[in-house]
Amino acid sequence: MHGGFVVWLFLVSFGASALGGTIGMASGIFIVPVLTLFSGLDIHTAVPAGIVSVIACSCGGAAPFLRSGTTNIRVAIVLEVATTLGALTGVRLTGHLPVPILYLLFAAVLMVSAWQMMLKRRAAPEEIAATPPRDWASRLRLHSSYPERGGDVFYRVRRVPLGLALMYGAGLLSALLGIGSGVLKVPAMDTALRLPIKVSSATSNFMIGVTAAASGAAYFASGSIDPMIAGPVALGSVLGAMLGARLLMSLSAEALRPLFVLALVGMAVHMLLHAVGNLR
Amino acid sequence: MDNADRGTRRGLDQLLARVLQRGTWLGSCVIASGLVLTLAGGSVVSSRIQGARIINVGIAMLIALPVLRVLLMAIVFFRGRDFRLSVIATLVLAIIALGCIVG
Repeated sequence: MHGGFVVWLFLVSFGASALGGTIGMASGIFIVPVLTLFSGLDIHTAVPAGIVSVIACSCGGAAPFLRSGTTNIRVAIVLEVATTLGALTGVRLTGHLPVPILYLLFAAVLMVSAWQMMLKRRAAPEEIAATPPRDWASRLRLHSSYPERGGDVFYRVRRVPLGLALMYGAGLLSALLGIGSGVLKVPAMDTALRLPIKVSSATSNFMIGVTAAASGAAYFASGSIDPMIAGPVALGSVLGAMLGARLLMSLSAEALRPLFVLALVGMAVHMLLHAVGNLR
Repeated sequence: MDNADRGTRRGLDQLLARVLQRGTWLGSCVIASGLVLTLAGGSVVSSRIQGARIINVGIAMLIALPVLRVLLMAIVFFRGRDFRLSVIATLVLAIIALGCIVG
Protein backbone atom coordinates (compact mmCIF):
# COMPACT_ATOMS: atom_id res chain seq x y z
CA MET A 1 0.00 0.00 0.00
CA HIS A 2 1.18 3.49 -0.86
CA GLY A 3 2.60 5.52 2.06
CA GLY A 4 0.80 8.65 0.85
CA PHE A 5 -2.52 6.86 1.08
CA VAL A 6 -1.87 6.01 4.73
CA VAL A 7 -1.20 9.68 5.50
CA TRP A 8 -4.33 10.64 3.53
CA LEU A 9 -6.46 8.19 5.56
CA PHE A 10 -5.05 9.69 8.76
CA LEU A 11 -5.86 13.26 7.68
CA VAL A 12 -9.36 12.44 6.42
CA SER A 13 -10.23 10.64 9.70
CA PHE A 14 -8.74 13.47 11.72
CA GLY A 15 -10.94 16.00 9.91
CA ALA A 16 -14.10 13.86 10.10
CA SER A 17 -13.66 13.17 13.80
CA ALA A 18 -12.84 16.79 14.68
CA LEU A 19 -15.96 17.88 12.79
CA GLY A 20 -18.17 15.29 14.48
CA GLY A 21 -16.61 15.91 17.90
CA THR A 22 -17.32 19.63 17.71
CA ILE A 23 -21.07 19.01 17.90
CA GLY A 24 -20.65 16.61 20.83
CA MET A 25 -21.67 13.02 20.47
CA ALA A 26 -21.65 12.58 16.69
CA SER A 27 -17.98 11.69 16.32
CA GLY A 28 -18.45 8.33 14.63
CA ILE A 29 -21.06 9.17 12.04
CA PHE A 30 -18.80 11.00 9.59
CA ILE A 31 -15.94 8.45 9.43
CA VAL A 32 -17.42 5.81 7.11
CA PRO A 33 -19.10 8.26 4.64
CA VAL A 34 -15.90 10.31 4.46
CA LEU A 35 -13.81 7.18 3.84
CA THR A 36 -16.05 6.07 0.98
CA LEU A 37 -16.32 9.61 -0.39
CA PHE A 38 -12.69 10.84 -0.19
CA SER A 39 -10.66 7.63 -0.06
CA GLY A 40 -12.52 5.44 -2.52
CA LEU A 41 -12.81 2.58 -0.03
CA ASP A 42 -15.77 0.26 -0.49
CA ILE A 43 -18.22 0.03 2.39
CA HIS A 44 -17.13 -3.46 3.48
CA THR A 45 -13.56 -2.19 4.07
CA ALA A 46 -14.65 1.13 5.59
CA VAL A 47 -17.07 -0.35 8.19
CA PRO A 48 -14.52 -2.39 10.24
CA ALA A 49 -12.15 0.63 10.21
CA GLY A 50 -15.06 2.80 11.41
CA ILE A 51 -15.74 0.32 14.22
CA VAL A 52 -12.14 0.54 15.49
CA SER A 53 -12.26 4.34 15.42
CA VAL A 54 -15.61 4.34 17.28
CA ILE A 55 -14.05 2.19 20.04
CA ALA A 56 -11.02 4.47 20.32
CA CYS A 57 -13.13 7.64 20.48
CA SER A 58 -15.51 6.18 23.06
CA CYS A 59 -12.67 5.02 25.36
CA GLY A 60 -10.63 8.17 24.83
CA GLY A 61 -13.53 10.47 25.66
CA ALA A 62 -15.09 8.58 28.58
CA ALA A 63 -12.84 9.73 31.44
CA PRO A 64 -14.15 13.28 32.15
CA PHE A 65 -17.80 12.09 32.28
CA LEU A 66 -16.87 9.18 34.59
CA ARG A 67 -14.84 11.42 36.91
CA SER A 68 -17.68 13.93 37.27
CA GLY A 69 -20.13 11.09 38.03
CA THR A 70 -22.38 11.87 35.05
CA THR A 71 -22.12 8.43 33.39
CA ASN A 72 -24.59 5.86 34.76
CA ILE A 73 -22.48 2.70 34.44
CA ARG A 74 -25.22 0.47 35.88
CA VAL A 75 -27.69 1.50 33.18
CA ALA A 76 -24.85 1.08 30.64
CA ILE A 77 -24.01 -2.52 31.55
CA VAL A 78 -27.69 -3.57 31.54
CA LEU A 79 -28.29 -2.04 28.10
CA GLU A 80 -25.03 -3.47 26.75
CA VAL A 81 -26.58 -6.96 26.89
CA ALA A 82 -28.93 -5.78 24.14
CA THR A 83 -26.40 -3.71 22.14
CA THR A 84 -23.80 -6.52 22.00
CA LEU A 85 -26.46 -9.04 20.91
CA GLY A 86 -27.53 -6.56 18.23
CA ALA A 87 -23.89 -6.12 17.18
CA LEU A 88 -23.44 -9.88 16.71
CA THR A 89 -26.61 -10.02 14.63
CA GLY A 90 -25.21 -7.17 12.53
CA VAL A 91 -21.88 -8.94 11.95
CA ARG A 92 -23.74 -12.10 10.86
CA LEU A 93 -26.00 -10.08 8.55
CA THR A 94 -23.35 -7.94 6.89
CA GLY A 95 -22.16 -10.58 4.40
CA HIS A 96 -25.73 -11.37 3.34
CA LEU A 97 -27.10 -7.89 2.76
CA PRO A 98 -26.62 -6.50 -0.78
CA VAL A 99 -24.24 -3.50 -0.85
CA PRO A 100 -26.90 -1.05 -2.19
CA ILE A 101 -29.06 -1.86 0.85
CA LEU A 102 -26.16 -0.93 3.17
CA TYR A 103 -25.73 2.42 1.40
CA LEU A 104 -29.50 3.04 1.53
CA LEU A 105 -29.58 2.23 5.24
CA PHE A 106 -26.67 4.59 5.83
CA ALA A 107 -28.43 7.36 3.87
CA ALA A 108 -31.54 6.86 6.02
CA VAL A 109 -29.52 7.00 9.25
CA LEU A 110 -27.83 10.23 8.11
CA MET A 111 -31.19 11.82 7.20
CA VAL A 112 -32.72 10.89 10.57
CA SER A 113 -29.61 12.29 12.32
CA ALA A 114 -29.95 15.55 10.38
CA TRP A 115 -33.60 15.73 11.38
CA GLN A 116 -32.78 15.05 15.05
CA MET A 117 -30.10 17.72 14.96
CA MET A 118 -32.56 20.26 13.61
CA LEU A 119 -35.11 19.44 16.30
CA LYS A 120 -32.49 19.64 19.07
CA ARG A 121 -32.99 17.55 22.16
CA ARG A 122 -35.56 18.59 24.67
CA ALA A 123 -35.85 17.32 28.20
CA ALA A 124 -38.62 14.76 28.47
CA PRO A 125 -41.62 16.10 30.40
CA GLU A 126 -41.72 14.69 33.92
CA GLU A 127 -44.43 12.09 34.43
CA ILE A 128 -46.69 12.74 37.39
CA ALA A 129 -47.82 9.13 37.92
CA ALA A 130 -45.63 7.26 40.38
CA THR A 131 -43.70 4.34 38.92
CA PRO A 132 -44.44 0.99 40.56
CA PRO A 133 -41.53 0.33 42.93
CA ARG A 134 -40.97 -3.24 41.70
CA ASP A 135 -39.98 -2.44 38.11
CA TRP A 136 -36.71 -3.58 36.50
CA ALA A 137 -34.90 -0.32 37.15
CA SER A 138 -35.59 -0.50 40.91
CA ARG A 139 -34.65 -4.18 41.20
CA LEU A 140 -31.30 -3.49 39.49
CA ARG A 141 -30.86 -0.21 41.43
CA LEU A 142 -30.39 1.88 38.29
CA HIS A 143 -31.73 5.15 39.72
CA SER A 144 -28.95 7.61 40.37
CA SER A 145 -27.96 11.27 40.45
CA TYR A 146 -25.69 13.57 38.48
CA PRO A 147 -23.83 16.76 39.44
CA GLU A 148 -25.37 20.10 38.43
CA ARG A 149 -24.39 23.61 39.44
CA GLY A 150 -26.99 23.74 42.21
CA GLY A 151 -25.99 20.31 43.64
CA ASP A 152 -26.77 16.69 42.80
CA VAL A 153 -29.93 16.04 40.78
CA PHE A 154 -31.63 12.70 41.40
CA TYR A 155 -33.50 10.88 38.64
CA ARG A 156 -35.48 7.67 38.20
CA VAL A 157 -34.97 5.32 35.26
CA ARG A 158 -38.14 4.20 33.44
CA ARG A 159 -39.20 1.48 30.98
CA VAL A 160 -36.03 -0.63 30.80
CA PRO A 161 -37.57 -3.34 28.52
CA LEU A 162 -38.44 -0.74 25.85
CA GLY A 163 -34.93 0.70 26.17
CA LEU A 164 -33.44 -2.78 25.69
CA ALA A 165 -35.46 -3.34 22.50
CA LEU A 166 -34.29 -0.02 21.00
CA MET A 167 -30.70 -0.76 22.06
CA TYR A 168 -30.76 -4.08 20.20
CA GLY A 169 -31.51 -2.10 17.05
CA ALA A 170 -28.76 0.40 17.88
CA GLY A 171 -26.19 -2.41 18.23
CA LEU A 172 -27.32 -3.92 14.93
CA LEU A 173 -26.95 -0.62 13.06
CA SER A 174 -23.58 0.05 14.71
CA ALA A 175 -22.10 -3.26 13.50
CA LEU A 176 -23.61 -3.00 10.00
CA LEU A 177 -22.56 0.60 9.35
CA GLY A 178 -19.45 1.11 11.51
CA ILE A 179 -21.03 3.94 13.52
CA GLY A 180 -21.85 4.65 17.16
CA SER A 181 -25.54 4.85 16.14
CA GLY A 182 -26.59 7.69 18.40
CA VAL A 183 -29.64 7.86 16.11
CA LEU A 184 -31.32 5.07 18.06
CA LYS A 185 -29.49 5.53 21.36
CA VAL A 186 -30.71 9.08 21.83
CA PRO A 187 -34.45 8.25 21.53
CA ALA A 188 -33.94 5.09 23.59
CA MET A 189 -32.33 6.96 26.46
CA ASP A 190 -34.22 10.25 26.31
CA THR A 191 -37.67 8.88 25.53
CA ALA A 192 -37.80 5.29 26.81
CA LEU A 193 -35.60 5.47 29.91
CA ARG A 194 -36.22 9.20 30.45
CA LEU A 195 -32.64 9.91 31.47
CA PRO A 196 -31.59 13.55 31.83
CA ILE A 197 -29.85 14.73 28.64
CA LYS A 198 -26.39 15.04 30.23
CA VAL A 199 -26.61 11.53 31.65
CA SER A 200 -27.85 9.99 28.41
CA SER A 201 -25.05 11.65 26.37
CA ALA A 202 -22.34 10.45 28.75
CA THR A 203 -23.81 6.96 29.15
CA SER A 204 -24.38 6.51 25.42
CA ASN A 205 -20.76 7.49 24.67
CA PHE A 206 -19.59 5.05 27.36
CA MET A 207 -21.65 2.17 25.92
CA ILE A 208 -20.60 2.69 22.31
CA GLY A 209 -17.12 1.27 23.08
CA VAL A 210 -18.44 -2.09 24.27
CA THR A 211 -21.02 -2.32 21.47
CA ALA A 212 -18.32 -1.68 18.88
CA ALA A 213 -15.87 -4.00 20.67
CA ALA A 214 -18.37 -6.87 20.24
CA SER A 215 -18.48 -6.38 16.47
CA GLY A 216 -14.81 -5.30 16.34
CA ALA A 217 -13.66 -8.53 18.03
CA ALA A 218 -15.76 -10.57 15.60
CA TYR A 219 -14.39 -8.63 12.60
CA PHE A 220 -10.85 -8.96 13.99
CA ALA A 221 -11.24 -12.72 14.54
CA SER A 222 -12.47 -13.21 10.96
CA GLY A 223 -9.57 -11.14 9.56
CA SER A 224 -11.80 -8.35 8.14
CA ILE A 225 -9.70 -5.55 9.66
CA ASP A 226 -6.90 -4.25 7.43
CA PRO A 227 -4.22 -2.77 9.76
CA MET A 228 -2.96 -0.35 7.11
CA ILE A 229 -6.47 1.14 6.87
CA ALA A 230 -7.84 0.79 10.41
CA GLY A 231 -4.52 1.92 11.98
CA PRO A 232 -4.31 5.42 10.48
CA VAL A 233 -8.11 5.82 10.73
CA ALA A 234 -8.13 5.01 14.46
CA LEU A 235 -5.17 7.25 15.24
CA GLY A 236 -6.55 10.13 13.18
CA SER A 237 -9.97 9.91 14.78
CA VAL A 238 -8.64 9.79 18.37
CA LEU A 239 -6.61 12.94 17.79
CA GLY A 240 -9.48 14.54 15.85
CA ALA A 241 -11.93 13.82 18.68
CA MET A 242 -9.58 15.53 21.15
CA LEU A 243 -9.43 18.64 18.96
CA GLY A 244 -13.21 18.46 18.47
CA ALA A 245 -13.78 18.38 22.24
CA ARG A 246 -11.57 21.48 22.63
CA LEU A 247 -13.43 23.30 19.86
CA LEU A 248 -16.76 22.29 21.41
CA MET A 249 -15.82 24.28 24.50
CA SER A 250 -14.59 27.39 22.67
CA LEU A 251 -17.01 27.59 19.73
CA SER A 252 -20.73 28.01 19.94
CA ALA A 253 -22.18 24.63 19.00
CA GLU A 254 -25.54 26.30 18.35
CA ALA A 255 -24.06 28.50 15.61
CA LEU A 256 -22.55 25.45 13.90
CA ARG A 257 -25.78 23.45 13.92
CA PRO A 258 -26.96 24.42 10.39
CA LEU A 259 -23.50 23.48 9.05
CA PHE A 260 -23.78 19.98 10.51
CA VAL A 261 -27.31 19.50 9.20
CA LEU A 262 -25.96 20.47 5.76
CA ALA A 263 -22.98 18.09 6.08
CA LEU A 264 -25.26 15.21 7.12
CA VAL A 265 -27.69 15.82 4.25
CA GLY A 266 -24.76 16.07 1.81
CA MET A 267 -23.38 12.74 3.03
CA ALA A 268 -26.85 11.18 2.78
CA VAL A 269 -27.13 12.27 -0.87
CA HIS A 270 -23.65 10.84 -1.53
CA MET A 271 -24.66 7.50 0.02
CA LEU A 272 -27.90 7.47 -2.00
CA LEU A 273 -25.94 8.02 -5.23
CA HIS A 274 -23.64 5.15 -4.21
CA ALA A 275 -26.68 2.94 -3.66
CA VAL A 276 -28.07 3.80 -7.12
CA GLY A 277 -24.63 3.43 -8.72
CA ASN A 278 -24.22 -0.03 -7.22
CA LEU A 279 -27.59 -1.14 -8.56
CA ARG A 280 -26.42 -0.82 -12.15
CA MET B 1 -28.93 4.56 47.86
CA ASP B 2 -26.92 4.79 51.09
CA ASN B 3 -23.55 6.48 51.50
CA ALA B 4 -21.42 3.31 51.37
CA ASP B 5 -23.13 2.36 48.12
CA ARG B 6 -22.35 5.76 46.63
CA GLY B 7 -18.72 5.43 47.76
CA THR B 8 -18.24 2.17 45.82
CA ARG B 9 -19.93 3.67 42.78
CA ARG B 10 -17.57 6.63 42.74
CA GLY B 11 -14.54 4.37 43.25
CA LEU B 12 -15.49 2.21 40.26
CA ASP B 13 -16.09 5.32 38.13
CA GLN B 14 -12.58 6.59 38.89
CA LEU B 15 -11.00 3.18 38.21
CA LEU B 16 -12.73 2.86 34.82
CA ALA B 17 -11.78 6.44 33.88
CA ARG B 18 -8.09 5.71 34.55
CA VAL B 19 -8.08 2.36 32.71
CA LEU B 20 -9.88 3.71 29.63
CA GLN B 21 -7.76 6.84 29.36
CA ARG B 22 -4.40 5.11 29.77
CA GLY B 23 -5.42 2.20 27.56
CA THR B 24 -6.43 4.52 24.71
CA TRP B 25 -3.08 6.31 24.93
CA LEU B 26 -1.14 3.05 25.02
CA GLY B 27 -3.01 1.53 22.05
CA SER B 28 -2.69 4.76 20.05
CA CYS B 29 1.07 4.95 20.73
CA VAL B 30 1.56 1.34 19.58
CA ILE B 31 -0.38 2.07 16.35
CA ALA B 32 1.61 5.29 15.83
CA SER B 33 4.97 3.51 16.22
CA GLY B 34 3.87 0.81 13.76
CA LEU B 35 2.83 3.50 11.27
CA VAL B 36 6.13 5.34 11.66
CA LEU B 37 8.06 2.12 11.07
CA THR B 38 6.00 1.37 7.96
CA LEU B 39 6.35 4.86 6.50
CA ALA B 40 10.05 5.22 7.39
CA GLY B 41 10.80 1.79 5.93
CA GLY B 42 9.81 3.01 2.47
CA SER B 43 9.81 0.07 0.08
CA VAL B 44 11.70 -2.32 2.39
CA VAL B 45 9.28 -5.24 2.58
CA SER B 46 10.40 -6.66 5.95
CA SER B 47 9.93 -3.35 7.83
CA ARG B 48 6.48 -2.90 6.28
CA ILE B 49 5.39 -6.37 7.40
CA GLN B 50 6.82 -5.69 10.86
CA GLY B 51 5.02 -2.33 10.93
CA ALA B 52 1.68 -3.90 9.97
CA ARG B 53 2.13 -6.47 12.75
CA ILE B 54 2.71 -3.76 15.34
CA ILE B 55 -0.35 -1.82 14.12
CA ASN B 56 -2.40 -5.02 14.46
CA VAL B 57 -1.27 -5.36 18.08
CA GLY B 58 -2.36 -1.75 18.73
CA ILE B 59 -5.78 -2.39 17.13
CA ALA B 60 -6.21 -5.55 19.21
CA MET B 61 -5.39 -3.51 22.33
CA LEU B 62 -8.05 -0.92 21.47
CA ILE B 63 -10.66 -3.64 20.86
CA ALA B 64 -9.71 -5.39 24.13
CA LEU B 65 -10.01 -2.18 26.18
CA PRO B 66 -13.84 -2.06 26.48
CA VAL B 67 -13.83 -5.82 27.14
CA LEU B 68 -11.37 -5.27 30.00
CA ARG B 69 -13.68 -2.55 31.32
CA VAL B 70 -16.64 -5.01 31.40
CA LEU B 71 -14.45 -7.59 33.14
CA LEU B 72 -13.45 -5.03 35.79
CA MET B 73 -17.12 -4.16 36.32
CA ALA B 74 -18.00 -7.86 36.76
CA ILE B 75 -15.26 -8.26 39.38
CA VAL B 76 -16.03 -5.06 41.31
CA PHE B 77 -19.79 -5.75 41.35
CA PHE B 78 -19.12 -9.32 42.55
CA ARG B 79 -16.86 -8.14 45.37
CA GLY B 80 -19.46 -5.56 46.32
CA ARG B 81 -22.01 -8.43 46.59
CA ASP B 82 -23.98 -6.84 43.77
CA PHE B 83 -24.59 -10.25 42.18
CA ARG B 84 -27.30 -9.28 39.70
CA LEU B 85 -25.11 -6.67 38.04
CA SER B 86 -22.11 -9.01 38.18
CA VAL B 87 -24.08 -11.72 36.33
CA ILE B 88 -25.22 -9.15 33.75
CA ALA B 89 -21.59 -8.02 33.15
CA THR B 90 -20.51 -11.67 32.79
CA LEU B 91 -23.33 -12.20 30.29
CA VAL B 92 -22.00 -9.27 28.20
CA LEU B 93 -18.53 -10.88 28.25
CA ALA B 94 -20.04 -14.20 27.12
CA ILE B 95 -21.85 -12.50 24.22
CA ILE B 96 -18.60 -10.84 23.06
CA ALA B 97 -16.75 -14.19 23.32
CA LEU B 98 -19.53 -15.84 21.31
CA GLY B 99 -19.01 -13.25 18.57
CA CYS B 100 -15.31 -14.14 18.33
CA ILE B 101 -16.12 -17.82 17.96
CA VAL B 102 -19.01 -17.71 15.46
CA GLY B 103 -18.20 -14.36 13.81
